[in-house]
Parts: sequence; structure tokens; C-alpha cells
Amino acid sequence: MLRMHNLSKVYRTHMIETHALRGFDIHVAQGEFVAVTGPSGSGKTTFLNIAGLLEEFTGGDYVLDGVNVKGMDDNARSKLRNEKLGFIFQGFNLIPDLNLFDNVDVPLRYRGFNAAERKRRIDDALGRVGLSSRIKHYPAELSGGQQQRVAIARALAGGPKLLLADEPTGNLDSQMARGVMELLEEINEQGTTILMVTHDPELAARAQRNVHIIDGQVSDLMRETTASLAAVAATA
Amino acid sequence: MFRYYFDLGLRSLRRNPVLTALMVLTLAVGVAASMATFTVLYVMSGDPIPHKSDRLFVPRLDNAPLAGYAEGDEPSDQMTYIDASNLLASGQGVRRTAVYGVGSGIDSGRPDLPPFQVQGVAPTRDFFEMFEVPFLHGGPWSASDEAARNDVIVLGRELSEKLFGSTSPVGKRIRMEGAEWQIAGVIDTWKPLPRYYRLINGNGGSFTGADEFFIPFQTAVSHEMGNSGNNNCSGEGPKEPGYQGWLKSECDWIQFWFEGKTASDQARLKEFLAAYVTDQKKLGRYPRPINVRLENVMEWMQHLGVVSKDAKLSTWLAFGFLLVCLVNTVGLLLAKFSARAGEVGVRRALGATKREIFHQYLTEAAVVGVVGGLLGLLLSFGGLWLISLQSEEMATVARMDWAMLALTLSLSIVASILAGLLPTWRACQVTPALQLKTQ
Repeated sequence: MLRMHNLSKVYRTHMIETHALRGFDIHVAQGEFVAVTGPSGSGKTTFLNIAGLLEEFTGGDYVLDGVNVKGMDDNARSKLRNEKLGFIFQGFNLIPDLNLFDNVDVPLRYRGFNAAERKRRIDDALGRVGLSSRIKHYPAELSGGQQQRVAIARALAGGPKLLLADEPTGNLDSQMARGVMELLEEINEQGTTILMVTHDPELAARAQRNVHIIDGQVSDLMRETTASLAAVAATA
Repeated sequence: MFRYYFDLGLRSLRRNPVLTALMVLTLAVGVAASMATFTVLYVMSGDPIPHKSDRLFVPRLDNAPLAGYAEGDEPSDQMTYIDASNLLASGQGVRRTAVYGVGSGIDSGRPDLPPFQVQGVAPTRDFFEMFEVPFLHGGPWSASDEAARNDVIVLGRELSEKLFGSTSPVGKRIRMEGAEWQIAGVIDTWKPLPRYYRLINGNGGSFTGADEFFIPFQTAVSHEMGNSGNNNCSGEGPKEPGYQGWLKSECDWIQFWFEGKTASDQARLKEFLAAYVTDQKKLGRYPRPINVRLENVMEWMQHLGVVSKDAKLSTWLAFGFLLVCLVNTVGLLLAKFSARAGEVGVRRALGATKREIFHQYLTEAAVVGVVGGLLGLLLSFGGLWLISLQSEEMATVARMDWAMLALTLSLSIVASILAGLLPTWRACQVTPALQLKTQ
């Protein structure tokens, strides 16, 4: 689904060069739920932005669902982003003067679906996150947890292959966070690959696999939670 | 997507009502000031007879004495009776008419309507067809009446209604200049703007007033009716006394019009006029070097300065003001769009290309233009009303037609799109990754 090889990202100013990522290698398979952890400033968000085609990288290769994105122009990247990716942000990033229906509608508009198809997808996505009854509500009328659910519905509506979540529960209390996490797990079970950046070890532990980033490099690629659990079970 | 963007633009108006109101008002005031002054200029400089203004010509001949001659002198705007008669008889052009202003008293014969003064013109019968004068009853006098210098008259609608009510007076007689005049026709309301056929000596100026009656040119001369208008006797003036002496003099008091078959007749007619002056020189007239002009309607109006310099200056100033308003709108749009960098980031992340963001925000600027244009229209009407209070002439020209209405809206939309270019371009430069993290 996602493969990066020897990827680097350098931020340059006229004074200094900052290597946000260097020699970065990662492979995420179809259907995985991967948690990306690491200390602040380690390069997690840079990785997520590059994975989400929101930033260009300086060197290396990145193949997303079989498409090499190196050197793609803005139009092609936007199209790929729209068709294959879904985003969930820490701050929800809903558009305040659009109701839930219209918020979920945004990525579908850019896809060029007709009105009937858009409505079907919006109803379906809001149904999946349990907000069908609040379709005409505005974001400000919802709790944080509900807003994040709308953001998830928006991410799901286009039928993405890969869901990128940046601290999806960072702005939520523990109860709401649990609800959102359960929803993500459910989505993953239905076949969507999820890549989640988090500071929260508890959330990370619920992913199938953890990727730890330190100083712009993957420090431990192979620690798979499920495999570990299987090993422990076998020993016992 | 345009409908989607337009809808988003409308919603955006409600997002920050104060900023929106400021933008709309700034744009509306600028557009209204420009359009109110431009409307006046447009009416003043409009083509009153667009389909034939390029083949209606005014000849001007320089018959002034040699004394005081300087190269480049403009010939007189009117001509002598001798020249008018010669040009009428020349057969040049498809139609021709001499015109001079006449005033007289009319005796209705009705006890309830005492004699009163009226102002009219004395043209040839070609006049009515040349200038496409609409008739309510009857028509122009006949060629035979004109040739026989009979006392026939065409009334203006107002005069006809004053004398005869709404019934047709064709065939009836009225008393004027001590004679009985048979009514050949009544013209309908006819107020070309500007009043191009009568820019000199017209009662009411270039934009207002109307002639109350029309009588044949040679009949008016037979009645020795004086000219109610300018009479320019350069040099010594009439050498013989009385009306007949005046007719034989070099005094200019008659306006003349040719109608050509096509616009290209202008050059040919001008050559004819030069040849005519050459012939007249042989008779001892035209002491100056040949100096003839032949202007079509628009050239004639430009020569007479129908559009005042004040009107032109006001329009330039108003458009300068619109420019200032636009600069302000640019600033306000920058503030509005900058505050929405987060939304741009979200839309980009969800698949919008830079081009789509550009279209969305430019459409939003155009929506401001539409609303500003509608308000600008209302303010333009207010501005025109204020202008119309200045004088009767201004009241005539301060009128908006459909073309101006459409132009006002278009100007506002184009102005807002221009003002939106920089803010929209800035919005497209938003780095989505940065915005999404900082929201």
C-alpha cells in the first residue's frame, strides 16, 4: 500500500539546513493498522505529510498503492490524494460554516461525483459514524468526539485505501478518545489501511504494528504487536 | 463546480458580516460614482441616429472676408441664403435640407385660447425623411406645395393637442403671419438625444426642447420671416436694405444638411463643395483660400463640443475614485481570505487542486461584485437623481438605460474579480501541511 525507500526531507533556510527525515524506509501493507510514535520533533508529522502528499520530499522514493509519486505535479498529487487517501486531524479541521452534510461533501465535489452518488456516499459515511440524525447540524453544535466522527466520515466518504490520522484523539477526553479509537479499529477491520501518528502509548498498543521514529529515521520497524502477542502465547 | 463555488461565495458573505458589508459598500460606492457620471457622459455622447449618422453631413464653407484671415481658421457653422439656395438646387446627396429657426404668433380663432407665440423651424420636406421624424397624423407637405411655396405646416404633437385636442387636424387651417396655413401633418413625440439636427440656435440647448411647428423653408423666406437664432454678418454686412438685401448678403444664418447614400459620399461631397467654392470665387465671393468642411453627425457633435469638458473630467475623477475603492477592496479581501488559510489547507488535503482553490476564491470575489453591483445600481440611481436636480438639461441626460444597467453590474463584477486576483493568488500559495497542524 505504502512504500518509502531511502526517503529524505530537508528544510532549507538561507542560514541552516534541517534534516527532518533521512534514509527513511517503511512499508505498510494493505489492511494494516500502523501506529507511528516518536518524541516531538522526531519527524512523525513530516512523514505523515509526505505520506499524505501534502509535502514534497527531497530524495528517495515513495510508492503509494503502486503509483510512484516522485516528481508528480500538483494536479496529479491532488487527484491521487482525493482518490486514495483520507485524513483525520487532531484539530478535526471541519469547515465551520458548512453543515455536516456539506463538510462530508467536500472531497466528493473534487472527485466529480453526481449529486445522487454524493448523497448516497454522505448518508453512508455519516451512518457509519453514527451521525445520520445530525446531518443538518453545524460543527459548532457538536461535541469534540462528534466532530472527530464527522471528520472520519469525511475521510471515509471517498472510499480511501489509506487513512492517515494525526493524533486523532489528541483533543478528546478519554471516553471520547476510546469511542474514536474503536471506530478506527472497526474501519480497519472492514479493510481500510490506517496509518496513525500518536503520542499515546495506550493507543499505539492497540495498533497491529508500531513504527518508532527518532531523529527522522525509523528505529524499530519490525515490532508487530500481534506477532509479539503470538510469540508470548506460543512460549506459554 | 461553478454553482458550488457560487453557493460557497454566498455563504461566505454571511461568515463575517462587518467585513462583507465594508467590501460591498466600498465597491458599490465606487461603482455608483463611476456609473452615474459615465451615464451622463454616455447619453451626452451617444449616437442619436446610429444607423445613418455616418451619412448625414453638415457642410461648412468659409465665406468670411480676407481681413483677419489666419491659416487654420474654422469656417462658420452656418451659411448664407445664397449658398443654402445653391446647395438645395445642386441635387447633391440623396436628400438635402436647409434649416433656420422661425418664431411667430398663432391665432387659434378660439375665444378660450388667445393668440400665443410658437417656435419652429423652416426646413425642406427632405428634413422629415432625413432625420426619420415620426408622424402621428398625416405626413410632410408635398413636393408641389414646397415648389409653389404654399402655406402648409406640420405641427408638433404638443401644439396640435393644444389647438385641436387628440383629433387629427390634418387638412384644417390655422392663422399665422397673417395667412391661413393648411396642416399637412402632426409629428409624434420626437426627442433625439442629443438634439443633433438643431445644435445651433435650438430652443432648449443640445439636449432639451422641441420644435413646435415646421414650415417649408422657401415659404418662410417668402413670408420674410426672420431668423430666431444667430446671424453672423462678417465684413460689411448687407449691401442692400431690407429682407431682400439680407438674403443677398454674406450673412450666415442657415444650417444645412446633406444625406449621402453611403458614408463614402463624404469625400465626394467635400470635393463638390470645393468645386462650388471655386465657382463662387469667379463671382467675386469667397476671398479666402478654399476652406470647406463636411462633418457627419458624430464629427459635428464633437466640433460643437456637445459633451462638456466638465462631464469628461467628472467621469475620469469618478473612475479614479473607483480605483481607490478597488485598492481598498483588495485589502479587505486579503484580510478575509487570509483568515481562511485553514480552510484552504483542508480543501487542499481533501483533493482540491490549486486551480480549484483559485476558481473558488475568485468566484467568491465575484459574488461580492454581484452584491456590490446591485447596491451600486441603487446608489447610481440616487447619484443620477442628484445630478438631475442641477438643471433641466441634466435631468434629460441623467437617465440609465438597459445597457447602462448591465454595464454597472458587469463593471462591479469585473472590478471585484480584479480586486480578488491578488488575494486569491495568495490563498493558493497556502501550504496545507502547515495550516492543518496549526489549526
